[in-house]
Amino acid sequence: MRYLRAALRRLAGFFTGHRQDDELREELQSHLDMETAEYIRRGMDPEAALRQARLSSGGLPQAAEAVRDQRGLPWLERAAADLRYALRSLRHSPGFTTVVVLTLALGIGANTAIFSVVRGVLLKPLPHREGNRLVYLRQSHDGPGGGNVQFSVPEVHDLRSGAKSLGGIAEYSPFFATLEGKDGAIKIDIGLVTGNFFEVMGLSPVLGRLTLPSDDGTGVPPVMVLTHEFWMRRFGGDSSIVGKQVSLNGGSATVIGVLQPAPFFPDKVDAFFNMVVSPHHLSALMIQGRTHRMTEVVARLTPTATLAQARAEVAAVYTRMVGEFKESYDPGSHYRVGVIPFKEVLGERARLTLWLLMGAAAFVLIISAANVVNLTLMRGVRREHELVVRAALGAGVARLRRLLLVENLVLTFLAGGLGVLIGIGGVGLLTAFAERYSPRAGEISLDGVVLGFTLTLSVALALLLAFVATLPKEGSFAAWIGAGGRRMSGGLRKSRLQRGLVVAQIAVSVMLLAGAGLLTRTMIQLSQVDTGLQTEEVLTMQVSLLNPARMTPAADAESKLLLDRMRQEIAGLPGVTEVGLGSHIPLGSSLLSFDLAAEGKSLAVGEAIPRGDFRTASPEYFHAAGIPLLKGRNFSSTDRAGTERVVIVNQTLADRFFPGEDPLGKRIAWTGEVLKFTPIRGDWRTIVGVVGNTQDGGLDALPRLAVYQPFAQEFTMFGGLVIRTDSNAKALARAATRIVQRIAPTAPIENVLTVKQIKDQSVAPRRLNAELVSLFGVLAVVIAAVGIAGVLAFSVSARTNEIGIRMSLGADSGRVQRMVLKEGVVLVALGLALGVTGAFLGAQVIQGLLFGIAPRDPVTFVGVVVLMAAIGISACWIPALRAARVDPAITMRST
Amino acid sequence: MAEKLDVKQGTLALMILKTLEVLGPLHGYGINRRIEETSKNRLTLNYGTLYPALLKLEQEGFITAEWRPSENNRRAKYYALTAAGRKQLAREAREWHQTADLIAAFLGARRETP
Repeated sequence: MRYLRAALRRLAGFFTGHRQDDELREELQSHLDMETAEYIRRGMDPEAALRQARLSSGGLPQAAEAVRDQRGLPWLERAAADLRYALRSLRHSPGFTTVVVLTLALGIGANTAIFSVVRGVLLKPLPHREGNRLVYLRQSHDGPGGGNVQFSVPEVHDLRSGAKSLGGIAEYSPFFATLEGKDGAIKIDIGLVTGNFFEVMGLSPVLGRLTLPSDDGTGVPPVMVLTHEFWMRRFGGDSSIVGKQVSLNGGSATVIGVLQPAPFFPDKVDAFFNMVVSPHHLSALMIQGRTHRMTEVVARLTPTATLAQARAEVAAVYTRMVGEFKESYDPGSHYRVGVIPFKEVLGERARLTLWLLMGAAAFVLIISAANVVNLTLMRGVRREHELVVRAALGAGVARLRRLLLVENLVLTFLAGGLGVLIGIGGVGLLTAFAERYSPRAGEISLDGVVLGFTLTLSVALALLLAFVATLPKEGSFAAWIGAGGRRMSGGLRKSRLQRGLVVAQIAVSVMLLAGAGLLTRTMIQLSQVDTGLQTEEVLTMQVSLLNPARMTPAADAESKLLLDRMRQEIAGLPGVTEVGLGSHIPLGSSLLSFDLAAEGKSLAVGEAIPRGDFRTASPEYFHAAGIPLLKGRNFSSTDRAGTERVVIVNQTLADRFFPGEDPLGKRIAWTGEVLKFTPIRGDWRTIVGVVGNTQDGGLDALPRLAVYQPFAQEFTMFGGLVIRTDSNAKALARAATRIVQRIAPTAPIENVLTVKQIKDQSVAPRRLNAELVSLFGVLAVVIAAVGIAGVLAFSVSARTNEIGIRMSLGADSGRVQRMVLKEGVVLVALGLALGVTGAFLGAQVIQGLLFGIAPRDPVTFVGVVVLMAAIGISACWIPALRAARVDPAITMRST
Repeated sequence: MAEKLDVKQGTLALMILKTLEVLGPLHGYGINRRIEETSKNRLTLNYGTLYPALLKLEQEGFITAEWRPSENNRRAKYYALTAAGRKQLAREAREWHQTADLIAAFLGARRETP
């Protein structure tokens, strides 16, 4: 209480103090008068009495100052003075201020933006209740498409009864559906869930309710839970949505609620439904088929269980399963199961890229901070004179240091503020980038924690800067002043620090450039991959006519008719040369792949069962897409329902099954338990042709076995149109889409893309990687070049006298130039050596992001060294030239 | 002349409060003289020590200040003890006595033979 009152009075004094000065003066004067009068009374003469009184007072102005300190808040007054001084001093060196603020702002901005993304995608706790207890279960096996094969209902059942450390198992089956609306139909990604799903996941509704066990089973009304993102995107956040009916797959469902924002894995989900929406999911096939794997599994650890326990238990259950049902787990494919914390699996695809970018941004910050330290050191030397004068006038080392600290705080806060602005821009860009990699991109935000991070960075930098500007010890000011305040400076220690910083800048730049080079070459390699299509003037589109929940032969026949009408009408458009039909569009991944067998070929022991992609094609398909027929014949109109089953295979399949043999006339068949869940038959099919490979599922995808059936002999599945044009395929998109919409108004249209666009999409993530790291690399190199040029220029200006003396003793300008250049080249060479070593050791880390080149690609490394050396030496040249132009007469005279 | 002593931190406040308790409202000069006399001139106070201490006590609410005419009809600032000041004086005096007793007991102890 007493302290609070005193503090308040002092604060008041800070503002009103000057008014009390008169009063104080009067009080002190009256004291002096009374004391003088006392001395006179004791018999002193008036003059001596006054002198004696003054002596014992200890000085009126000093007393007044002491009272003033007690009255207000002296530190606050001093801080305000320091701030005024700092602003004035920075205003007087605008060049220094601009360079420092800009370079730091870029460094801080890049770090703020990328840290926001890292935090949102990798670090933040999950929005789920006790999200750290959620684990994701992944079943996988060797070979293409084996990365995540999901689980079947019997497998989930075994896990549930066997793994006691899993307190609850949330299962959802990713599926798709056609949602019809006023403005046409769209295909949406849905999850079919059981009633306990949201309870186990620990998610709550923001509106309405979520599914409950009472929504399970048959004979219940279909219900729909919207994800937050889809609710905003499709329904504009309409709060009256709950209770409304939506048209789905030709039927209807009731919206019961909106889910809180939450990430899903492996793919985003637009809405959740109870199982009744898909009769298939309630059929015996689904419930009893051990190989019918269509379910994703997220489990919640019991409060006492550890991850290690869960792993051990799940592994034990799995081993038992595999032993008991041998026919469901092909030994050659090495089936396995993983238990991964849900948070970790959500960041899986983004982790390496993000840490790479975070590292690159940190490097840029290090380089710009090093530069600022160097600039500050140099400026400090130029200001020695000023500091000496201040010291002579009574400012102690602590006070000088505080002055510098305030100045640096002003600088770094300016930079921090600007950096946050840059960061806000960057977060916008990076969020779009992160969406490709992470289901948590929606959680990225520039919030208090990120701002705290930026603030901490700024303050730490300011402190660092204030303390590298080495001030002399208290006593040595006299020597300083004795030297006339113009010391020939840059003591050895200081210049070593500067040089060390330059070497570090170059080394870090080399590492960044090496990373940028490797990623850029990766991107180039990737964009040069042959798609397998001989032309780029092809437009593809996918029109899903078949309702996935009702795949009947009648519906299929109808969809074939509609697709053929589309084919004919689009073929009539000007510029169109050929239109093909198929189950899938070329270059897209098939999503349908099954085990394959070849007649008369048996697998070696332990050999994985080969899997092939199921595709269909009309006779026009290959030519329209530009896929070359290498052997045999094309499909013809006689390959239709009821005639001999024939197939065309790709080159990879021919090589895999019939190496060194003629594949034509050989027979292959789909096989495996899964077939019984599909309308596809396991009959022998005769190979009539071989076509070239295509890069399905991305330019960096591994080659896959592909089997094309005649369009007329199989189900249409997804329905793909391939449109070949004589020029500018992109321009046709609108006209073709209009025809499709007219013929099938309720069918969702997807992937209206030219082959070039498909290629670009495949390269895009790596292009962005390369561009971002290159941007950082360029930034680093520019800052490092400024750094080395600055340090040399400073060294030259400090040595002007020496150079003048050398020149007057006969050194020509070429010799002086070489001398300065040599000084710089040594630094560049040291930096290069360190940087190349660092990059060489570090390159392995980013191997996962590379394609088509080795992490220690010699071309990249040599290129980087040459580039950095060239830039470094050019940067040395400017100060060297200036040194060579020193006029000995002028420098000698001014000494 | 007796040995000069520095005023120890914290003790000056106590001396001022006690002076005001004994002599009633008093100006700075009066307080100064009283302290010097009581200490038999072993303590001298300059203005830069006394006045900040007075201001501090005023800020803490232990004394109040008021301008009025002095005994020889000059204007002077008179300081007076408040109720809070009285309490504070009693408390601090008690603490000082305890400390002094303790220190005296310590210093009075004789060397013990083992």
